[in-house]
Amino acid sequence: MEAHQWMINYTRQTEWIDRRGIFLWIAFYAGGLGGGLYLVSLYFNSLWGMLVSWLIIAVIKGGTHLVYLGKPLRFWRIITRPQTSWLARGFIFVMLFVIFGAIQMMLTHWLPGSAAEIAFKTLAGIMAFAVALYTGIILKNIKGVPFWNSTLLPILFIFCGLLGGFGLSVIIALNGGDINLAAAETGSRWLLLANVLLIGIYLWQASVKEGTSKQSVLEQLRGHSAPIFWIGIVLLGIIIPLGIALAGMILNDMSSIVLVTGVVCEIIGGLALRYVVLKAGAYKPLVAKPQ
Amino acid sequence: MRWGMVVDLSKCVRCYACIAACRIEHFLPMGINWPRLVAMETGGDSPTVSTYSVRCNQCKDAPCVEVCPTGATTRREDGIVTVDQDKCVGCRYCIVACPYQNRTFLSKDKDQGFFPGRVVTDFEKAGKKLYKHQIGTTEKCNFCAERIDAGLAKGLKPGVDREATPACVNTCPARALTFGDLDDPDSEVSRLIREKKGFQLHPEYNTDPSVFFIDGKIGQSDEPKVDDKPEKEPEAIGVGE
Repeated sequence: MEAHQWMINYTRQTEWIDRRGIFLWIAFYAGGLGGGLYLVSLYFNSLWGMLVSWLIIAVIKGGTHLVYLGKPLRFWRIITRPQTSWLARGFIFVMLFVIFGAIQMMLTHWLPGSAAEIAFKTLAGIMAFAVALYTGIILKNIKGVPFWNSTLLPILFIFCGLLGGFGLSVIIALNGGDINLAAAETGSRWLLLANVLLIGIYLWQASVKEGTSKQSVLEQLRGHSAPIFWIGIVLLGIIIPLGIALAGMILNDMSSIVLVTGVVCEIIGGLALRYVVLKAGAYKPLVAKPQ
Repeated sequence: MRWGMVVDLSKCVRCYACIAACRIEHFLPMGINWPRLVAMETGGDSPTVSTYSVRCNQCKDAPCVEVCPTGATTRREDGIVTVDQDKCVGCRYCIVACPYQNRTFLSKDKDQGFFPGRVVTDFEKAGKKLYKHQIGTTEKCNFCAERIDAGLAKGLKPGVDREATPACVNTCPARALTFGDLDDPDSEVSRLIREKKGFQLHPEYNTDPSVFFIDGKIGQSDEPKVDDKPEKEPEAIGVGE
């Protein structure tokens, strides 16, 4: 009965992570990272940050999403059902962000302080937030995967995106960009703590919710995804950046290489978080064993 | 009118005729099956094998219809959920959203032919003309909608007249499958569901499937306990088709 085990046991979703699914994983993360960086750049009024976030969303997110599609040339059809589909809404958010963001950056460059610039900053900011948020909502709405079916997931994705955004803003500041390094570091530290808290609560509530989501948590902590969870999220995504942040607070000075290492670790942690969330999502058995 | 199916679990003899009939009816590529047989062994020392014949449940509140970003997946007035492969972009949102895992993405490796690299059979050549399967799109059971439509056009009654009835139902030698109108209280399916307490898979999802199961031995029960054998968890999940 081995061949049929997949229907009478917890079944991991594979379409959105295995094989070409890795493109979707990158697209999901790039959406959060780009959206988060844009919002952080708005806070710092950093044109460089805005440009980088625009490139992340337009090129990396858009590109990987297109590559993932089975029929990429039909991509335009995705906008036709926004009334019910969050994927369609997300595609519209991305397109509007790309348009509003491009206009806003031109206005910031040539007409800084104008009413039009403020208006487009607001519009692009709303779209950036939506781009960072919608992938979490897509997963949250899937009832068949109880591990994803949680309101905390979109919030976690937003905070993870903001953390990556603050991290990238540190790199922009180190390269002489228009961002205050100390403020970026402080923001990064607080966001890191918030992320640790959110990940802990998310896993805890998934483990107590019901059997299938508990199975997903166990898969991360002890199953095949455990190395990615413990090394990617815990060690690289939390412990190392936290250690660097604490050392920075104590020493009051930190070399650029160490700071960049911390940011790279944070980004790997963010990628690992998206990966294990997608990888550990499991369905209830289609047919339950008789008692 | 809402087409539905009743699967009598006690009658299924695991002959796989339903799967073969579907493959022939729709010229299915080798790598995919629309209906599937799920078998499980229970009973310890003297095990017995139980079988579920599963397929797309044609849910009344189908999650796949709701999430489809292109409108490729739609629910017809007669309750059949169909996929327009000319509109599908292959985002696979419907596959992930289906809690019953009854949709398949047709990738290149699932359509390599019966004898890859050697010969294309006449059956395959006929299939390419009569029933095009587009690589890069999603597929699933459609209750043989084309048979139903053609039959209705001739004044036939699906579930009663063979020409208007899904191929798997016609083929089942044990008569484990029954097809008919769920909205008609006098139909065979409605009678079976009423008299034999037909049940749907995972009613807690509120999708209201159009496929019902009847059987005296097997019912829905609690899902397996997660803490039974934690060291074997990786084997228990992610086992492919």
